[in-house]
Amino acid sequence: METRRTLLKRGLLGTALLALGSGVTLAFRHSKLVDLPPEGLLVLGKKEYAVVDAIARRVLSPAPGAPTVDDLRIAFTCDRILALTDETSQVEMRQLLELFENALTGFLFGGRVTPFTRLDPERQDAVLDEWRRSNVELRRTGYLAVRSLVVSAYYGDPRTWPSVGYPGPPAAFVDPNAPVWKGGGEPRPPGPGVWVEP
Amino acid sequence: MKDGRIVTGDELLESDTTLECDVCIIGSGSGGAWLAHELCAAGKDVVMLEEGGYHTRREFDLTEAHVYPKLYQELGNRATDDLSITMLQGRSVGGSTTVNWCSSFRTPERILKIWREQHGCEALTPQTLDPHWAAAEKRLHIAEWPEALINRNNRILWEGLGKLGYDRGLIRRNVNGCANLGYCGLGCPIDAKQSMGVTVLPDAVEKGLRLFANVSVRRLETQGKKVTRVVADVLDPQTDRKSGRSFTVKAKATAVCGGAVNSPALLLRSGLDAEGRVGARTWLHPVVVMLSEFAEPVNAFSGAPQSVYSHQFIERGEGKMGFFLEVPPVHPMLASVVSTGMGAQLQSFLGRLPYVNAMIAIVVDGLLPHETGGTVRLRDSGYGRHSISYDFVPQFWEAARTACREMARLQFAAGAKRVHSLHQTPLTLESEADLGKLDQAEWEKIKVRVVSAHLMGGCAMGKDASKSVVDPQLRFHGLDNLFVVDGSVFPTSLGVNPQLTIFGLARWASQHVAAAV
Repeated sequence: METRRTLLKRGLLGTALLALGSGVTLAFRHSKLVDLPPEGLLVLGKKEYAVVDAIARRVLSPAPGAPTVDDLRIAFTCDRILALTDETSQVEMRQLLELFENALTGFLFGGRVTPFTRLDPERQDAVLDEWRRSNVELRRTGYLAVRSLVVSAYYGDPRTWPSVGYPGPPAAFVDPNAPVWKGGGEPRPPGPGVWVEP
Repeated sequence: MKDGRIVTGDELLESDTTLECDVCIIGSGSGGAWLAHELCAAGKDVVMLEEGGYHTRREFDLTEAHVYPKLYQELGNRATDDLSITMLQGRSVGGSTTVNWCSSFRTPERILKIWREQHGCEALTPQTLDPHWAAAEKRLHIAEWPEALINRNNRILWEGLGKLGYDRGLIRRNVNGCANLGYCGLGCPIDAKQSMGVTVLPDAVEKGLRLFANVSVRRLETQGKKVTRVVADVLDPQTDRKSGRSFTVKAKATAVCGGAVNSPALLLRSGLDAEGRVGARTWLHPVVVMLSEFAEPVNAFSGAPQSVYSHQFIERGEGKMGFFLEVPPVHPMLASVVSTGMGAQLQSFLGRLPYVNAMIAIVVDGLLPHETGGTVRLRDSGYGRHSISYDFVPQFWEAARTACREMARLQFAAGAKRVHSLHQTPLTLESEADLGKLDQAEWEKIKVRVVSAHLMGGCAMGKDASKSVVDPQLRFHGLDNLFVVDGSVFPTSLGVNPQLTIFGLARWASQHVAAAV
């Protein structure tokens, strides 16, 4: 299966990383969990959900007065975004979040033996920074993947638009009742796409 | 008028639908649409299968979070496996023409010359293609965008180019009654964009085309030297997942028009790999971006997204990769994903969104002799996902660094207060005196953002069957009735935005497909 896992095996430290991600974890180092959404989760497990929540709180720094990570339920939105993706992507993201959280992985790269969710905010920033600047390609890729997920969940929400000075799209031009033409002998409604000889 | 029709997945309720026709076209983008139109006009019975949905302007609410999942490949997340290049590619009836930024250029003669002289595509002369381009330009109202209407984001490029004495031009756009909104990438809400979905495809339906949306072709079945069956899954339009219903087409000829990445992937799924050449030599026009901040609002989310270009650096001498300059629109979600940094730094930058100008340098790949470019391979799982890799050559990084330096100079010349590169460790230039910082930056994959919106190659055309996938008439080497008609047949990249090249090529190629029926 050509997943991130097999890609990983080709990379520097890949085999070691995978072994760590596969279960030789510092199992006694438990994650710091957060309350789960009442609607339930579609893709993420409770530990992965906590990791996304923790990452979102560091990557996102809402402007004063802007919606917070809690207001927009970013981890929940991320779960729902992931639910739209194919199964391979979902598996890969879950593996990636496991690597972020995994204490032994952290020890190998940064000397930490504490799961990501149990680190204080400054240390979490440092871990994200390690991933971002890493010489191991997989970690740079991983940083991009989790960053893209949480920023798109936040800045894709119209409630954040005032905080970035974006007025929103020109709604007056949107017509949810515009006709839909499918042919079948029906005449085509007039419009700019219909050819008219000049 | 014949009774062609557009049928969506929710209307296909039989456990299997089997149709017969003259030509089965797979994909409804710039190649498939023009091919279908010409074949229907010639009286052929054509069935078109499109994996994406039939989305029309009533659904185009111009909201990024709604549009990317609906109108883009892989929900807008198509990328190389290592995320070193993120790709924007359309996925709906109309393909990328539903969401592209309308820029229309004829194929440069220097590129056609390479295709003729190095790849044996001797018919592809400007004289041959002129009438096809002219027809497309007329039908799609392709015309230069008036300078008076260019938005501030484009004007910054225009003014910078003027001040530095660089080549500059106004882009021709395929629009009719454009309201200059700036949302071409999110689907035109007034059908002013002359995308395939509102022009050539409905024209073809009026001529008898049967177009089936939400039908994802899984494989081509062959017997001897012929494709005998096209086998597809019907997708549920609401979930985009398999519905459990199948769809089969038996056609006298088949044309694969899924674009780069999807066309080679379908051939690979069908066991047609041309000894490893299918999916190889995929060209991406890799793009590097520079952002700048101005004291006055730029509002780069508003106004025609692309109206100014420069080919000042398109040919940079032997052994170097050229690039061309344009600007992209800046909307909040895409800006947040493409930008770099996190926390307060990220918010501080995005908080100035209306004052941000973005400039892009589009690097011309595939012209150096040793380049291999991108490679598309299958994954064992993942319904719509493929494995994509890209081999960056040192010359690319030289071009990227030079391009970012030139873009910063243009931005400062136009009055920028500050310029940012898209390195993962964000780099800020306060004035031209800081240009040297770019030379010290890390020019490596994933350490600087590279994106692509022009996917080409992977099924290269050529005379020599040992070096190409399709012949100069776009017929798959070794099969009598299979054609590939889209941007995947380009042996190199173009050096211009690709849609008009594909329009012309498909219109020209229709004669060869028709002759195979």
